[in-house]
Formats: sequence, C-alpha cells, structure tokens
Amino acid sequence: MKKLNRRQFLRSSTAAAVMAATPGLAYSQMFGSAAPFSDYRALVCVFLFGGNDSFNMLVPTSTAEYNAYAASRNQLAIAKEDLLPINPVLGAENFDFGIHPSMGGLKSLLDDGKAAFLANVGPLVVPTTRDDVFNKSVPLPPQLFSHNDQQDQWLSLKGVATSKTGWAGRIADLIRDNVVAQKMATNASLFGTNTLQSAEETIAYVMGPNGPFEFYGFSNDPETLQGQQRLAFEAIATANHGSVYERAFGDVQQRAISSADTVLGALRNPSTPTFDGLFPSSQLATQLRTVAQLIAVRDELQMQRQIFFVAMGGFDTHDDQQILQPGLLGDVSASLTAFQAALASLSVEQDVTTFTSSDFGRTLTSNGDGSDHAWGGHQLILGGGVAGNAIYGNYPVPEIGGLEDVGGGRYVPSTSADQYAATLARWFGVEEADIGAVAPSLANFNVKDLGFFNV
Amino acid sequence: MKTTRLLSLAVSLLITLAGCGGGGGGSSQPPPPPAPAPITKAEAFQFLNQATFGATEAEAQNVINTRYETWIDEQMAKPASLQLPHLLSLPQPVFLFELQPDRVDIWFRNALHADDQLRQRVAFALSEIMVVSQLGALVNSTYSLGDYYDVLARNAFGNYRELIEEVTLHPSMGVYLSMLGNEKPDPVLNIRPDENYARELMQLFSIGLVELNLDGTEKLDGMGNPIPTYDQATIEAFAHVFTGWNYTGFVNFQNAYETPTNQILPMKLYPAFHDDGEKVLLGGAVLPAGQGGVQDLEGALDNIFNHPNVAPFISVRLIQRLVTSNPSPAYVQRVASVFNNNGFGVRGDLGAVVKAILLDDEARPDLPMEIDGKLKEPLLRVTQLYRAYNAQSDSGRYPLLASYIFFGQGPLQSPSVFNFFSPFYSPPGELRNSSLVAPELEIATEYQNTLITNYFFAQTFFQNWLIDKTSPDYNEDTILINFQEEVDVAADADALIDMVAGKLLGGEMSDTLRTEIKRVVEIIPADQPLFRAADAIFLTVSSPEFAYQR
Repeated sequence: MKKLNRRQFLRSSTAAAVMAATPGLAYSQMFGSAAPFSDYRALVCVFLFGGNDSFNMLVPTSTAEYNAYAASRNQLAIAKEDLLPINPVLGAENFDFGIHPSMGGLKSLLDDGKAAFLANVGPLVVPTTRDDVFNKSVPLPPQLFSHNDQQDQWLSLKGVATSKTGWAGRIADLIRDNVVAQKMATNASLFGTNTLQSAEETIAYVMGPNGPFEFYGFSNDPETLQGQQRLAFEAIATANHGSVYERAFGDVQQRAISSADTVLGALRNPSTPTFDGLFPSSQLATQLRTVAQLIAVRDELQMQRQIFFVAMGGFDTHDDQQILQPGLLGDVSASLTAFQAALASLSVEQDVTTFTSSDFGRTLTSNGDGSDHAWGGHQLILGGGVAGNAIYGNYPVPEIGGLEDVGGGRYVPSTSADQYAATLARWFGVEEADIGAVAPSLANFNVKDLGFFNV
Repeated sequence: MKTTRLLSLAVSLLITLAGCGGGGGGSSQPPPPPAPAPITKAEAFQFLNQATFGATEAEAQNVINTRYETWIDEQMAKPASLQLPHLLSLPQPVFLFELQPDRVDIWFRNALHADDQLRQRVAFALSEIMVVSQLGALVNSTYSLGDYYDVLARNAFGNYRELIEEVTLHPSMGVYLSMLGNEKPDPVLNIRPDENYARELMQLFSIGLVELNLDGTEKLDGMGNPIPTYDQATIEAFAHVFTGWNYTGFVNFQNAYETPTNQILPMKLYPAFHDDGEKVLLGGAVLPAGQGGVQDLEGALDNIFNHPNVAPFISVRLIQRLVTSNPSPAYVQRVASVFNNNGFGVRGDLGAVVKAILLDDEARPDLPMEIDGKLKEPLLRVTQLYRAYNAQSDSGRYPLLASYIFFGQGPLQSPSVFNFFSPFYSPPGELRNSSLVAPELEIATEYQNTLITNYFFAQTFFQNWLIDKTSPDYNEDTILINFQEEVDVAADADALIDMVAGKLLGGEMSDTLRTEIKRVVEIIPADQPLFRAADAIFLTVSSPEFAYQR
C-alpha cells in the first residue's frame, strides 16, 4: 500500500489526470473474461448490531445444565417452561435444548430442517483456550469487547492485520471475472456502508431498505429538460475534480444514478412479486422483502452470485434486557421465517443461504438488568442447502467459571469466524485455492469446513 | 427588501469598524509589521464553512473587515443560544416525545439564525464526539436532550474537564450509556457493575484505544505494535467508579424515576449503591477505598483528563469536524500542545483549542493540496444552502424531525454512540490506497446521495408550485428559500451563475460546473426565470464542489 506524502499530493492537473485514469473505482466487473457460473447462489448476511445475547437464544433444558444456566444468569435467565423445545439431529447428544420463547418461526424452520445453529463462534486468530487468554500465550483479536472493533473483526476477519477489506468484498474481487455479465454489483447493502463488503477492486452498491430510490429531477430522455439535467449532473459528478474528496463523492453520485436505473427498472417490472402480507412490519423484514424481490429479478439483472447485507440494531442490551429481548429475537425469527417462505415461493431455497453475525456474545453474568460485552456467541444459518435442525460447533454449558469462561461469563469462542466464513464461501463457489484469501486465519485451524451444508 | 437590509447591515458594520479600527497607533518605535494581505471573499467563505453553519456573503464581508482572530474573539464572547428555554416555553405534552420536532426545530433555528455561530458549530462537533441520541431510550426525554445540547454549547469554549463532568452526570448520558441506575456488585446474584459508560467514555470521548504521540500518531512498542491504553480490568475499575448514580430527588435509589424536572438536573449519588472498594485506574493510579462516590468520580475523571492521549485525541476529532479529514501530524501537535497548555498554564481550554485549529496555517494553506479540507456533512450542506438563501417557513418552524432519514443525520439522531460515521472510515479507491480517511463519505452512499439530491431538487424546483402558496402541498411549515435576486437576473445566464457562485461558493466555480449549468439554464426559456434560477441553484448544491469544504 503506497503512502503518499503531502507534497506528492500537491494539486496539479497531471496528478488529477493520473488519478482519473486509474481504474478500480467503476464497477470493475466490466473488464474480465473468466468462465461464468452455471448456476445462481446468494449469501445473505443478517448482522445483529450491538451484540446479541445469544445465551438466551439457545438454552440447555436438561435439568443439570438448565440449573447451571439459571444460577449463572439469575434474573436474565429465561424460565425453563417458556423455552420452545427443539430436537436437533446433531449437537444434542449430551443434553436437550430449547430456544427463546419469541422465536416460534425459527422453531418451525429448525423442525423442517431449514435452519441450524453454530454454537460459540467468534473472532479468533488461532485455536484459543481460556488458559491461553490468561497466559497471553497466543495472539488474540485486538480490542476484544469493543463494539466497532469486534464488528470489524467479524466482517473483515483481519485478525491482527490492518486490512480494511471485508470477507465478502474479497469474494467479490476473486470472482469478478466470472460475473462480468452482472448488471448489479455482486455485493449489495440495504443497511449502509459496511466492512463486510469493502473490497480492493469492486464496489458494493448501497441501496435503501426498499431498494434504490429514483432521482426526482432526472429522466433518460435527452429531449427533455430533465434529461439534460441528468446529463449535466453526470458531467459534473465525473469532472476532473481537484480534491480526493470531490472525486470520491462524484464517483458515488455516478454509481447512484446509473445503478438506480437498472435496479429500479427490474424491481418495477409488473411481474416482480410483492409478497403482500407475507412479511411482518419491521426494518429487518422490509430489507429482507427487498432482498427477496431482488432475487426474484436475478435473471433480468443477469445475476449469478450475490451477497446481501441486511441488519438491525438494538442488541446492546446493557439495560432492560428481559423487556427488550422478546421484541428483538421475535423480529429476527419472524423476519427470517417470512424470508424463507418468500424464497420457497421463488423456488430458490437451495440457492440462498442466510446467516447471522453480531458484534459479540454477551456476558453470562448480569449487571443488574442487562448484560455486557463479551466474545463468543451462537449464530443462525438458514437455507435449503443447509443440513438443518442441527447445532454445529461445540455448545458450552453456560456456566460461570466454565472451561471457556475468561471472566464474568465471557466465553472464548470454540469455533472461529474464519471457519464459519470459509464454509459459507466454499458453498458460494470460491475456489479452494482462494479460501485462504477470504478467511486468512483458517490455516491455523484443523477443521477447514464446519460441514453445515448438505453435500 | 431583504437585500437592502443585509446591505445596510454590512455598510453599518464597515462604518463601525472604520471608526474604531483604522488609524494605527501613534509613534511606537519598532516598525509596524507588514499589513496582512486582504482576505478574499473565497478565503472568507473557506473560513466560515469551517467555523459556522455555512458561509454567507454578509458574514464573509464581516470576516474580511474584522479579520479571523477578531471575528473568533467576538464570537466567543457571545452568550450561548440554547434549546431548553424554547422547549420549556411550549405547552408541556403528556409524553415528551411529542416535543422532539420542536427540539429539532430549535436546533435548526439556532444553526441558521443564531449569532453565536462558532459556538453552535463547535457544540455540533462535540455532539458527534460525546454522542447521545433521540433514537432509542431517550425518545421520551426531550427536555433532557435539549439540556444536554445546551451543556455542549455552554462548554464549547470552556474547559474539557468541566465538560466531561457535566456530560458524565447528565441524565441523557446516564440513560444512553446506562450509568444511571448502575449499582455496586452483588456477588451472590452474579451481578457486576455495568461497563457501558466506562468503556465508551474512554474509547470515544477522551483517550481512545491505543496510546498516541502528541502529534496524534500511534505509539508503537518494541515489536512495532500499537499499545492499548487500557485493558478489561481498567474498564471494570471505572465501571465500579460509576456506581450509585440515579435521577435526583429521591430518597431511595431503587425508587428513582424520570420526571420532567429531574431529567435536566445532574444525576445524584445514592451512597448505599456505590461500590466503595479500592479502584486501580489508568497508569496504575489508585482510588482509595471508602472515599465515597463523589470523590471517586472526581478522581476518575481527573485520571482520564490527565492522560496524555486526551490532547491529541480530542484535537484530531475537532480538527476533523471543523477543518480537514487528514491533518498533518505537525498540525495535530500544534493544536494538542495548546490543549495541554493554553499559554497560561491551563490544560483543556477548549476555546484556545478551537482558536488554534481555525487560525493554523494548515486551515487555510497558501498552496492548497488535494488532501486538504473535507467532505461536508450532509446536514451542513443543507444549513449552508438555507443560510445563503434565508430559508424560512411562514410559521417560522423547521419541520425536519426526519432529518436523519432525509440527510442521513440529524441533531442528536445518531444510530449509535459511534456517531453517524467513523473518524477512521477510509473509502475504497485512491483514498484508502493512500492511507487517507474521509469520515463523511461513510454516509455518502448511493442511497443517501439520491435522497439528498432529491431534497435539494424539491427545495429548489418545487418553489415553482409553492411560491404563490396556492398549491395544496403548501402549508405554513413549508420551508421556502428566497432566490428572488436570482430570478431577477435569470434572463442573463452568466449573471445568474455568477450570483449563485457568489452566494454558495464564495465566487469560485469550476469551468465544468459553470458550463453545464449554463447549458441547461439556456435550454429553459428566458421568460421562465424561476426555473432558470432553481436549476442553477440545484445543480450547484448537488455538485461535488459544493459538497467539498476547502
């Protein structure tokens, strides 16, 4: 990475001309020639901002284990009789499980084999035990327990490196020559700029929860004033600007106007399903409904590989956790259930895998009426390709002072976010030789694939 | 009418200044320093876009006349324009969330019209560092939010140590980062103190995650790695410090609840719920056991305040909000040195820091570089347009509660304590390749760009329907901008463009922008001057060069 000193950056027409000629800021998918994919696949990342307290999402219900959980969590514990029983075919050899009472939809998906848990997963550089943490004998992801840093860890998998790219961004770069016909970027976000989709060569496209918005003032007809206005707007956006900030801003404007045409054109096709009445009313559901619509128009947009980023906030439950959590987890469950039904109606369940990530798990201990920042947590994986109704990874009994507890009920992950991402990337079609570029710390772990897909 | 008033104001200012300023003083021995070069209009615009909610031609003339330092001194002497008095003057609704539109309204009134512009701008910057937000648990605490903003405005030129104490004890912060109601540990029930405020106070409001040099660069250990400023044990120690505080006015901690009265009063210590054990803080400093919660809090804030990171940390944050995304280490060091000592031995003098930021050579370099300056925040693009064109509704209100949706940001409307964007955000492409940041670009997404472009389009073009106030879309809260002067000259495209460039860009417009506006304007028949004027303003405010703060 070159570091320019300020003198080299003196404003000059030559420098600006060189910058303008540097490729990489347009959708670079346009240049390239590798073989296209023969099928369609999409990954949908559902990010739960704030740090989901997943100790209450998946709970042991066998007597001894439940009692350990209840004693540890105290007033944060869910009453045993309220937990919804599940019967996983894998991962429940030692004791039984229930899920949070607000997640009825998820229970159905589990029962139908369309959903699975990945237990106690989180950012790791190398396999790490509690003693490794105490003895400082292994490298750890920097700034554990800090929101933004651990979001970055999850989404970038950078470990102790300083990379600014995300693992989905790196996938988009790796496959860009295979998807040259796509009319939309491989990475699309419905929840703003994010690290997951940040890349070196390709640009993620950011739309709103309902998809792109149209520009009021512009038309495509150069015979009209609005048409001329558009041409002027584009000429101004792409002019030879003097500062780095104007150039970056103009690039966004240009992408906004060109992508809105294409994507809105497809979404507004009368044959695009609207899924009326299927989705609940929530921000997450709105985003997932739009994702389902975009998947419905994949052929028109000539999409073969897509990664969507959707998200919801509110999981930082330092206060009032017992009041807030039913609404949060209920929303996740209902929105994902509706999304899965929408995919079924499009006959693409096999082609779409949805997965959750979150800043971190939370402390098993209480701060009075909530929980604090911790490390490992449980995540959800959904889709027709998933070998479902199972709990992957190693589920630790939630107990203060347990083998994974580094203090206060902060659990060391037993599975790394790199292993999680690598498994998803392989299903998505990333070549084995490239998996290390997606999940750089994978090399440090013996298990390269968590096996949560049907073969 | 409006013009005449502004003109006469400018003229009267000129006269006043000539009266007291001119002359030079008598026959002192050393030769007077060479007269500083006159400030150009473009330079005055650059300065005002750093120091206010948007340059106007009238204020630019004021800066040209008074010069920068005097202008700053005059600004700092002005009392703070506040929000809470306005909110309290309105009928008290049953649920205070109903006043959130008025809170946003008074923010816009102050941002657009208050004469303590520098104070308001710095308060806004502080509100993006010590973040609380209407979005969340504070939605029904409107008085508290208004008062919190007033704390930032009052202390904008005060001392950082006092500011951080008022912030810490404010019920808005108490609720937002859950220090309010935080109690001492209960080992039997596995209850530990809440770590939320302890963590974010250090990470976001004061010292950051890693040790810094005075110039803002990271210190490195022998292995070349950054050095963490604190660990989990330090956070837990501070979490113990911040126990025992709740709404004031109650005998019993556990019965304390929010009222319209106590939400604007500092939180109160309930000693029985404070952890009175020993705490080991930053640098191994020890708070002895048994000294009580108030002493603990004072000691803990002193401990943070005296950490060497505060000066570079706060200096970089404020420089980024006011002047440039990528200050040189030397610039940071000059400002941070003033934070450490204002010249009179005082540490944490924010007024001196702000002055050092704005008067530094790097804030107005002779030879501009393409990494100087920053992208304007969307809200600041809106306020600049509104100030330049005296945006008003008939009711006087600015009904912009949905600011955070239209513009991607609004006053105390951040999605989280991490603000609307990260100070470290580095967009892909040439910026990232050069290890540069552009925080504001994080929210300048395709989507948000579309929304704000549409907002500008509506604000300029829909005037055509709304200006006669007969449209069914018109109501007394409709914000209209006044561009009658542009309409009057719109038959002459060049004169029109000159006028718009003068009001929005300080007279400096790129050839491309000028050419494109002229081309489109001249498509519109000259007998439709309203459209012509709207088009010229629209294409200018939606351009990258308007979005850029030099």
